[in-house]
This record gives sequence, structure tokens and C-alpha cells, in this order.
Amino acid sequence: MVAGATSKDTRKRKQPPQEEAPNEQNGLNGASSLEMLSDDEDGEEIGSDDGEVEEFPEIDVASDSEEDEESDESDEDEEESSEGDSDDSDLHIFPKPKTIVSDITGRPKRVYPEIEPDYDSDSSTEDTPNRVGDVPMHWYDDLPHIGYDINGKQVLRPARGDELDKFLKTVDDPEAWTSAFDRNMQGDKALSPQELDIIRRLYEGENPDAQYDPYEPTIEWFTGKGKEEVMPLSAAPEPKRRWIGSKWEKKKIMKIVRAIRQGRIIPNKPKTKESKFQFYSIWSEPPSSHPPPLPAPKPPLPTNSESYNPPEEYLPTDAERAEWQATDPEDRERDYLPQKYSSLRLVPGYDQFIKERFNRQLDLYLAPRIQRTKINIDPNTLIPKLPSPSSLKPFPIYKSLAFAHARGRVRALSISPDGAWALSGDEDGVVSLWEVNVGKEIKQWKFESKIGSLDWCPRSDITYFVVGVDDTLHFIIPPNLPTAIFSASQSSLAPPTLPPPSAIPSPVKWVSNSSSDLSILKVELPPSSGTPTQITWHRRGDYMSTVSSGGGVWIHQISRRHSQAPFKKVRGSVQLVLFHPTKPHFFVATQQYVRIYNLSEQKLLKTLMPGIRWISSMDVHPSGDHLIVGGYDRKLCWFDLELSDKPYKVMRYHAKAIRSLHFHPTYPLFASSSDDGAIQIFHARVYNDLMTDPLIVPLKILRGHTVKDGLGVLQVRWCNRQPWLISSGADGAVNVWCS
Amino acid sequence: MGRLRQKGKAGAAKAYITRTSAIKKLQCSLADFRRLCILKGIFPREPRSRKKANKGSSAPTSFYYTKDIAYLAHEPVLKKLREHKAFAKKLSRALGRGEWSSAKTLEDNKPVYKLDHIIKERYPTFIDALRDIDDALCMAFLFASLPSNSRLPPELIENCMRLTSEWQLYIMHTRCLRKVFLSIKGVYYQAEVMDQTITWLVPYQFTQSIPPDVDVRVMLTFLELYQTLLGFVFFKLYADAGFAYPPPLDTQKDEGAAGVGAFSLQTVMRSIQAGPSKSGPTGKKVSGKEVRQAIKNIDALTGQDMDVDPNPAQDAVADVEEEFVVHPSSTDPQSSAALPTLHSLSSLPQTTQTSLFSPYTFWLSRETSRPVFEFLVRSFGGRIGWPASSGSGSAFGEEDESITHVIIDRPLIEMTPEERQRRARRKYVQPQWIVDCINAGKILLEEPYAQGKTLPPHLSPFGERAGAYDPTAGIPSIAEAESEAESEEEEAVIEAEEEEEAEEKQALRAAADVAANDAGALRAAELAAEAAGVDYDAFEKEVSKSRKKAKKVAIEDADADAEQDMNKMLMSNKQRKLYERIKHSQGKRNTERTKLEERKKSLIKQKKREAKA
Repeated sequence: MVAGATSKDTRKRKQPPQEEAPNEQNGLNGASSLEMLSDDEDGEEIGSDDGEVEEFPEIDVASDSEEDEESDESDEDEEESSEGDSDDSDLHIFPKPKTIVSDITGRPKRVYPEIEPDYDSDSSTEDTPNRVGDVPMHWYDDLPHIGYDINGKQVLRPARGDELDKFLKTVDDPEAWTSAFDRNMQGDKALSPQELDIIRRLYEGENPDAQYDPYEPTIEWFTGKGKEEVMPLSAAPEPKRRWIGSKWEKKKIMKIVRAIRQGRIIPNKPKTKESKFQFYSIWSEPPSSHPPPLPAPKPPLPTNSESYNPPEEYLPTDAERAEWQATDPEDRERDYLPQKYSSLRLVPGYDQFIKERFNRQLDLYLAPRIQRTKINIDPNTLIPKLPSPSSLKPFPIYKSLAFAHARGRVRALSISPDGAWALSGDEDGVVSLWEVNVGKEIKQWKFESKIGSLDWCPRSDITYFVVGVDDTLHFIIPPNLPTAIFSASQSSLAPPTLPPPSAIPSPVKWVSNSSSDLSILKVELPPSSGTPTQITWHRRGDYMSTVSSGGGVWIHQISRRHSQAPFKKVRGSVQLVLFHPTKPHFFVATQQYVRIYNLSEQKLLKTLMPGIRWISSMDVHPSGDHLIVGGYDRKLCWFDLELSDKPYKVMRYHAKAIRSLHFHPTYPLFASSSDDGAIQIFHARVYNDLMTDPLIVPLKILRGHTVKDGLGVLQVRWCNRQPWLISSGADGAVNVWCS
Repeated sequence: MGRLRQKGKAGAAKAYITRTSAIKKLQCSLADFRRLCILKGIFPREPRSRKKANKGSSAPTSFYYTKDIAYLAHEPVLKKLREHKAFAKKLSRALGRGEWSSAKTLEDNKPVYKLDHIIKERYPTFIDALRDIDDALCMAFLFASLPSNSRLPPELIENCMRLTSEWQLYIMHTRCLRKVFLSIKGVYYQAEVMDQTITWLVPYQFTQSIPPDVDVRVMLTFLELYQTLLGFVFFKLYADAGFAYPPPLDTQKDEGAAGVGAFSLQTVMRSIQAGPSKSGPTGKKVSGKEVRQAIKNIDALTGQDMDVDPNPAQDAVADVEEEFVVHPSSTDPQSSAALPTLHSLSSLPQTTQTSLFSPYTFWLSRETSRPVFEFLVRSFGGRIGWPASSGSGSAFGEEDESITHVIIDRPLIEMTPEERQRRARRKYVQPQWIVDCINAGKILLEEPYAQGKTLPPHLSPFGERAGAYDPTAGIPSIAEAESEAESEEEEAVIEAEEEEEAEEKQALRAAADVAANDAGALRAAELAAEAAGVDYDAFEKEVSKSRKKAKKVAIEDADADAEQDMNKMLMSNKQRKLYERIKHSQGKRNTERTKLEERKKSLIKQKKREAKA
């Protein structure tokens, strides 16, 4: 098939030259006339009919092509085509008449050749024998004919083979693949080479017309020699400016010319002179009054280690070298590694040279500069000069004895007003009374639950103490008292005639039970108010205040057996309370603030802001003018109450939370204890002179308690008359520290 | 009641401006802004509170003073930069249209900015400028050694080379070089010009390549400024020294790679101008002698360009002639004490140092760097010659009889008898000798620096920080360490030297001292004592004694320390932080020093051991 196609193709290609020859022979006239025509047109304009006809060479060509087509079309009957050709050449468009003598009249007459409708009227459909027109052919499906010819006779259906014949035809007939089904004739019809060529052209995207020449020469119809415009378009006269130069331009030019002549403008300055910048004495004029900008800091000068031949000790070890290489270039302390070369000849070029220069420049223009004063001081001068602790004796130095609770943390501790007895209560509910001097236990009381707090009554004529357990305060008279004191204490706690009950009803109940061994008097706080975590006495010994773990504050009056809540409502949860030693003032510490109230006037005096997150402990100086506050965030604040509500001094020296603080009643000492297991003793001298600041000197760190479950020394108390300190810890030990 | 104050209308918010807003205000590109900052020496500032300066935002930005930017706004260079932008547009349009002639005209009239006003503004006085030329010199020397490429035009490199040569010429002439340091990065020079110490670093003669992470534009902008600065500074320096600037260049010599030698100093004809003016106002008659003198001067000056070398001698002669002569008073001949003149003052302290090499003549061996050592030797008054392979311009050849020293940097090899003979006349030293001599300010012994010898370490003449490790000082603890080591050895050989009881006792004490604190050491000492033949009771006594002593000392120390520690409680937070910082840096320095000392000790020990072996 392919071979057939190619052969067909070649034939098709070959055909035009084959046919051109006869065309040339036949159409010689036309061709010559065409050439002549162009010459003629160049020379003179002739509007002849012939010329007009000949002016359209396309038509000629088209007619040629038509001839070609026709010759191509009639591939099989070449005779006919040759005949047609000859006819065509004879006829031309206006066929030439023959002059003959008429047989009839005997006169000469012009005889035109017969018109062949077949040729001139381009009705290719007229060939078709079937004249049914454009009707659906399935109308004839059941009939033996397929239509009618021009004479009205039936056109019989051509014989159509079965599928096998069709297939054999495709094999045998080389033209079968270029034939298509003709609906009108109900049979296959081979496509002509022209049609195939059109198909090929369409397929290749070319112009389907084979004769179309996209590159034909232009024909100048209106331009060229002899065809110029002669008449002007406008009749306006020519303006003056067309031929006279501008006055102003001339003036401008003259200005430049004059400048050039005078040398003010140098037209083509020599380039070398311009580029060469001339230096001059720039600093000869006096400088401006502006201060000069600060000079950039100079880079540090090189040290020994940068030498090409440094002493050997400067050379880095392998580990140092590896470390240097591992660090980022920005983090390196030095930007080079010391190296040693035995001679100058061997020193290589430094590869970071340009980079370092560049970094310096970046520093110069990108880095902010700050002027810093360099401090060159001995760091030891920064440590405040304080009197030596040895000159401030006495203060506790060593642990003289230890009293141990068997179980539980000892949270509560109190010393009798005469300083001879100590009371300690642990979380197991055991309260021990023991001698401070020898550490001998005299008596032990056992309660059901843990001891929240305990405190001796500060009065010296009577002796008893209060223990806070489980919403209840137990008043207990210690054993082995002189009879006078014992009876006085008993009468004050359980008087034979009870004082008249207060007009205002109180939810707190005072219950006497002289029969009980445990306590002579019980104060029952309102239920579910929590364990009393703090008991603090007024200095006279008549009033006592308690703080419960629930936050409730009560002031109890022993003589009137009456309790009252001083505050209806307190902002924040109350941590601690204190009575002022001399004035009717009352300190209340919430989590972050310390408020001072005047109890007699019933108003708030001051709010102190220690800046502590959570206050853990507080104590007031015996003079009443100074207050120390400790917090769980390790801070200790010293307030001078005369001065301001901000601390005079804030110290942070403990490693962990401060648990307890206590001023010595008579000596200028105070102690603080912490969860790190250490007790810090301070000398704190307060002057009567208002202008002199209090002197605080750290004296001693006492270590001896062990830290248990993260808790260290929970409570510290001073002995009243000696510079002795008693401390209780989470490890169950109660230590006595002596000077 | 006063007016309500609006936020951001005063204070830090007004005094500072961010970089973005600065660029917006100046209406220029970031690159132009950078260029301006470099040229004008404007750098970012750190406000006390970044938040306040940035109107409440804490975004990371760099701040400039608003006033700095306001000054920049009417900077002529900025105007020129804008013109250049317009020019670039015009040029590209002309090129795009193929209008070659207009492009050429444009190119010829390209806007070029000048930097002299900036120099004057940044450095109001000459001393300010001189103080700041360190970086400029470093850059000039660096670029003089770079190969030219498309980004670095050859004219630039050439100009840098010219500037460096001019500077070296000046230094050589005024003899103001003070210190030199051969480091691994390059050669550091320090000169003292007009009481300003100027330090610059010159890379070794190797081809440098610009790394890709370096922005050449920034470097070139700096170089632009530095070239102008150096030009003006050199002009002033040369003018003050009485020389013409720029010094004329001998192109023939330059092509022969003569380096600095290609330039020559030319004195300005000041005397001619000064001559008539001097005689004019005084109304003196001009004597024929003076006229003849002036003519001679002119001839001498215009006729030849004076080289540096012959100059000092001639100058000195001239100076001597002009020396202030004391005329003893007729009434009191004793009072004619020597008055210090300017000349004597200026010459006194320097004479020994600046003419260090003047009695010597040097010959450079082929492998040494000619520019470095030519500069060094000539700036200290020596004569120097070099082989033709190191460049032209050598004053004498290798065979010259006057050569006293040869600077050589190659290993010792077999030599011909002729050469040996020559060697006997000359001294062969390694290059470090020159530098060490300069830094020491005197001629050192050539022996340790002789060819083939292991050189002594080369130390920085600029010194270290105060309190840093000093390699020259004998470590005080070295003696101690030695004695310690000896005692150790003695312990080992104690059996052999039983008869020396005193030493034995000493060893015992030492051992006991050591052992008092350490159980393991105690056991070892016991064994040693037993081996030494000391009876156990004596040993025990010694140990307990030393223990007590140690305890007492420890307690006292601990007490003092504890007191100090407790006093620290009362320091304020600020003081404590400062204290910690100082202590930290001190500790760091100390560890550094002790590390070096330790290393030196161990090195000495090792050397000794090797020597013994």
C-alpha cells in the first residue's frame, strides 16, 4: 500500500512538468502575451480589451490548472483529455470564428465552433447517471434500482460483493484504499489524484489550492515611475518657518558660542585631567566649631599567640584545636589558632585576611556603638565593710544540746517567759515540756491530731500555755509550779465567778473542765475553721490572737472569756498576725501585703509592700519601729515603720524558703531559719536617733538540722534572758544553740 | 493644667529613627543608604529602651539618630547619587535605542561625586584624620596586593599601590617606624607620626582571593573614602615635610618592579618663593651672593630628584649649619649652660633607635620578602641591596665589599671555599633578627639568629594585657617545681642516701605535710617513711603536728572567708552582679595564665628529661 501510495505520489509530482510541456506548446500565445503585457504597461498605458483580459494572469493560470486538473482527472481516458486540451487551446475564451461560404445563401458567414456545455458549464454532477437528487438513498434500499438517469430510465444497482469480496478487493486493487463509497451511485469510487492532493494539503495544513502562490511578486498599481501625485492636497501657502531658521535658537546658540570663545565652556574636555583628582591643603582653614565625631574604636593589638614563631606553651593541644574547630566562628574567643613555623619562609598566606577586614568594616558601619566607662576596681571593695562578728558577741555559736521528738516534724515551739522551759509540739500530736538547760523532759501531753501552734502566756505572775489543735485551743497549766503561781493561774483560767457573758453573741465557746488532766480550759473555735497555725499574745498577757489554717482571725480576751473576730472581711488569706509591743496596733500579713491596723480606732494605718510572693514569717522588733518579713521566695525584708511602706533592705541569702524569723527580746539579735537546713544569726542594732540607719551584721550560720522531705528548720525561738536560740526542724530534732 | 502630651511626639520616639523609615525619608535605595552611611560615618545607635524608640513595637530593627538622617538629607553626595540614577536611566535608554553618540556624551558627562567635604567634616583637624588612618592603610595595603579583575579595575589597584608606596616613603624618610611584628596574619607595623601611633597590617605576599561571602561593594565604598582620606593626609604630611605631593614616579623603575624605589621625593621650591618675600618687607638690598645662592638652589632642586638615601646625611649637614650657636655672655661666662634647642630635643631620644642600622649594609637573599625588609632596613637607616630576581633598583651587587649582613632564610648547606671566605666577612642572619632588633631598640647578638639555627620565640612588641602570662619572665614557681620534683626523686632514692639525715627529715616533713589531708597519700607516705627507716612514732607525731597546723590555718582561713561570704549578703543586687562579673573575668584570666605556666613547666621538664636521656 505504501509503495503504491509513493508511486502515485511520484506520478503526481511528475505530472505537472509532463503536462507543462503541452501547455507551453499549446498556450504559447498566452504566455507571450503575458510577458508583452507587462512590458506594455511599463511603457504606455493602453486600456485595450485584450490587455484587460490579459491583466489577470491568475485567471490564465487558473485556466491552465483547470486544464491540468481535467487532464489529471481523466487519468484513464487520455485521449479525451488530449482532445479536450487541443479544443481548449483552439477555443480560448473568445473562440475565433471561421469564415465559410454558406451553402444556402452562398455568402460568406462566420461560423463559431459549437459550444460544449459539457466543458463550459461547470456542472460536474451532470456526469452522474443517477438523477434522483438529494434524497435519502434508503428509499431505494428494497428496490432493484437506485434511481433514474437523465432519460428517466432506471439505473440499476451495481453489483456489490459480499465482505470477502470487499476484503479481496482491498488486497488486489491497489486503488482500493484511495476509493470512497459514493452514496449516490451506491458503489465505490476511486478518488482522483487532485482530490488526494487536496486531502494531503489539508492534512499538512497547507493551502488546499495547489496553484496558490504566497510569494508572488507585487504589482505596483499606483506607485512607481509615471504614477506620482501631481496635484497638492492643500492649497495653503508654504509657511515661513519652512525656510527661515529660528531667531531664538540662533540666540541660544550664539550664547553658547560666546561662552566657548570666552573659555567658560570647554567643549571637549580632555578626560585625563578631569579624572585626576587634585588634592589640596584641606586642613588649612580653621576647623568648624562642631565637635568631631567620636573616632571608631581601634581593633585590639596582636598578642604573643599570634606570632609566627610563638613560645611553645601558646600552641594549642589537640583537644583545644578540636574544640576551636567545633565552635562557630562567631563564638570563638580568638579568630585564629596559634601556629609555629620554624622560619619566616614557611609562613603561608592567611586565608581569612579579607574576611577579617570585611568584618571590621561591617563593625564600622553596621554595629551600634556605646561608650562604656571601664571599671577597674578591686572586687573586694564592693563588699560592705562591717564590724567583725567577734566584736559583737555574745551570739549562739554551737549546739549545746538536742531534744528529739520520736516522730513527726516539730512545727510548734515556745519558750517560757523566764527562759527555763521549752515546749515543743510535733505533727504527731505530742507536746513535750522540757528544761532548756539540760534537755530533760518533764511532762508529755498527747493530742489526737497534729499540733498547729503553742505559746506561753507572757505574764510572769501566772504560768500557763495554750496549744492549738483541731479547731480548739487548750489552756494548760504546767506541773510543778509554786502554789501561789499555780492558784493564781488556776483562778485566772477558771475563776469561781464567771464574768458576765458579752452582749454580742460569739460563735466561739469557752468550756472549763477543771477535772480534765489535759486542759483546764478549752476554747472551741467555730467548726471547720481549721487548725490554729499561729497563737500570738499581747504583751500584757490578757489578749491573745489566733490565726486558723482556714484564714480566720480571732482575738480572745482571757479575763472576760470572750472572743471576737476583728475583721468582717479580709482581702487575701491571712498568714500571720502580730500585736505591736507598745501601741494598740495590729499587724496582719496576707500573702503579699502586711497591713497595720489601729485596734482602738478601728482603722487601717498602713499597707506595707514587701514585694514577696508569699509571706511565710514575720516578726516585730521589741521597740516596735521595725518589722522583718520573710517569704517562701527566700527574701527577707526589713521595714522601718517610720520611713515608708517599702522595705529599707531586702536580703536574699538562704538557698531555700525562709520558714521562721524571731527577734531576741533583749539582745540586738535576730535569727532566720530556712528549708536549706541553716539558721542565720544577725546582729541588728536599732538606734534611737532617727537619722541613723539600723545596723545589720550577719554573724553566724548555724548548721545542724538535716533536711527531710524538702523541709529544713521550721521554727526558731530565742530564750528570753540568754543569747540562746532554740530551733526545731522537720527531722524531729529540737536544738539549743548557746554562745 | 498643661497640654496633654501625645505618645510618640517627644523623647526617644523622636530622637531615633528606624532604618526603613530613614530610607523612606531620604527617598533612596538601600544600597545608596549604605553607601552614604559608610561615607559619612553614620552608624546605628542603641536606644536605652528599644520599645520606646520603636513606638511600642519590639521588632528587631536598627536605629539611627534622627538628626544624623536629617543631616544626610541635604548631603551633596546624595544629590549626586540621585543624579547618577537619572543618568543610568538615560544611558540605558540611549543604549537601548542604539543612540551611540548621545550615549557617549552622557558617559562623558557622568555625574561624579567628590568626598573632600566629607573628609573635612569627619576630620575637622589633621590630627583627627591621622588618628583614623589605621583602617585606611590596612585596606590600601590589602588592595595593593589583590589581583585586578572585572570588579577591581587595574587603576584602583595601581592607585592603592601608589598610596602604600607614598606612605612607606614618608615613613622611611621621617624614620618614625617604631615596632614590627611578624604574625601569622601578616606583618604589623607601628609608626609614630605627630605623636599618633598608627598601626597597620600588611598581608604576606600571596595572591588573595575574595571569598564569596564578602560584599565587594561595601569594601569598594570604604576604599573610595579611604583613598581620598589617605590622599589628603599624605598631601599634608608631605607638605609639612617640605616635599611635593604626589611624588614623581619613575616609570622605568616601576616597570622593573622597583616598588617603593620607583618613587622619589622632590622638595618644594619654598625657598624661592620665600626669598623675595623675606627681602621685600625688610627693605634690605638683595646682595649678589644671595642671588647666586638662590640660583644654585633652583638648579639643585630642579636638576635632580633627590632619593631618600642620600637625603638624611645632607639634611643633617644642613641642620648642623643652622644649629643654634650659643654665644657666651661677656659678663657671666659660666651661665652659658647648654640651652635645649628644638633640634637637640627632637634628635635626642631618637638617635639611638631610628638610626639603628645606619652602620650596616644588608644583602637580601632571594627567598626573603624584599618589600618588607627593604622598608624595615631603610626606615632604620641601613643600606640594602637585593638580587635582580627580587626586582630592579638595587644600589649595589652581591659582591659589594661593604655588605655586613646577609638576610637569609634557608637551611644550611655545603658551600664552596669561596663562599666560606665570603661568609667569614659577613654575618648571615635569619629575617627575624631584623624585627627583633627593631623591637628591642638595639642590635642583638647575631649568634642565636644565625642561618640554620632554631630561632628564639618571636614575641609581640605590643605587649599583653596587664597581669597576663609573660613568657619572658622566668616563672617564679619554676624553682619551686624543681625542688618539688627533686624531693620526689629523693623519695624514690631515699634508701640509697640514708646517711643524709637532714634531707631525710625534710622528706619526711614534706611527705607528712602532703599526707595530712589525704588518707591515700598518708598511707603512701607511711610506706615511704618505713622504707626510709624512720620509726613509726616519729612519723605519727610529725603527721599529727602537721595536721594540727593545717587545721588551725584552715580554720582561720575559713573564718575569714565565711565572714566575707556573709558580708556579701548585704550587697545590693547591682553590686553583687558587678562583683560576680569581675570575679568571673578574673578567674578566667587566672586560669588562662596558670594554664600557660603549667604548660611551660611541663615543657621544661620534658626538655630536661630528653636532655638526660
